[in-house]
Amino acid sequence: MSDFVFLYRPPEGPVLSPAQIAEVMPKWMAWMKSLEDSGNLKAGGHPLERQGKIVRKNGKGFTDGPFVESKDLINGYSLISARDLTHAAELAKGCPMLDGGGAVEVRQVASM
Amino acid sequence: MSEYIYLYRGGEDRANRSPQEMQQVMQKWVSWLQGLAEQGHIKDRGQPLERGGKIVTGKQKLVTDGPFAEAKDLVGGFTLVEARDLDQAAELSKGCPIFDAGGFVEVRPVMQM
Repeated sequence: MSDFVFLYRPPEGPVLSPAQIAEVMPKWMAWMKSLEDSGNLKAGGHPLERQGKIVRKNGKGFTDGPFVESKDLINGYSLISARDLTHAAELAKGCPMLDGGGAVEVRQVASM
Repeated sequence: MSEYIYLYRGGEDRANRSPQEMQQVMQKWVSWLQGLAEQGHIKDRGQPLERGGKIVTGKQKLVTDGPFAEAKDLVGGFTLVEARDLDQAAELSKGCPIFDAGGFVEVRPVMQM
């Protein structure tokens, strides 16, 4: 088994309302539980707030810019144990983010 | 103290480096993270990520080869830190070796559930 990370990418559009979040939470918990039961969940990870900062450095020094939402938005992550990348992608298919039109990016943890 | 994630984005492909350069760069990361840990700012050192990967999209659960972003925005790893506020979290990121490699750091608050 190897380690993988799921990076959750929401669909474009407004943030879920509290009612929508309440509706989808049980689905997330059920999915996480199933991953746990099958021995594939290393860590549930965390959801991320939709704000932040981008820190860049150029010849003149550092700039702290506001975080701007883009198509490349990540709003959470989890740590997964799977046989290989294909298996990890298979496990990702149960993610409730997908039903809403979002995506899961599946990346292998690098062995350094 | 609140929790923040550092998403390390962009920067030179590790595969382009010699083993010696890799060693030097790794040492910089270890030293920087160690420094933050000693000040009580590390919640989880996190993981470096392999390039490539797969993407699963939408209700059809379509699987395509990844990664999601262009090389300049590619998430190469992450760390969980603790800081007073977002400003301090951003400030603490400035010692990160990703900058020398031409990358940048996205700092996001962890949502408290």
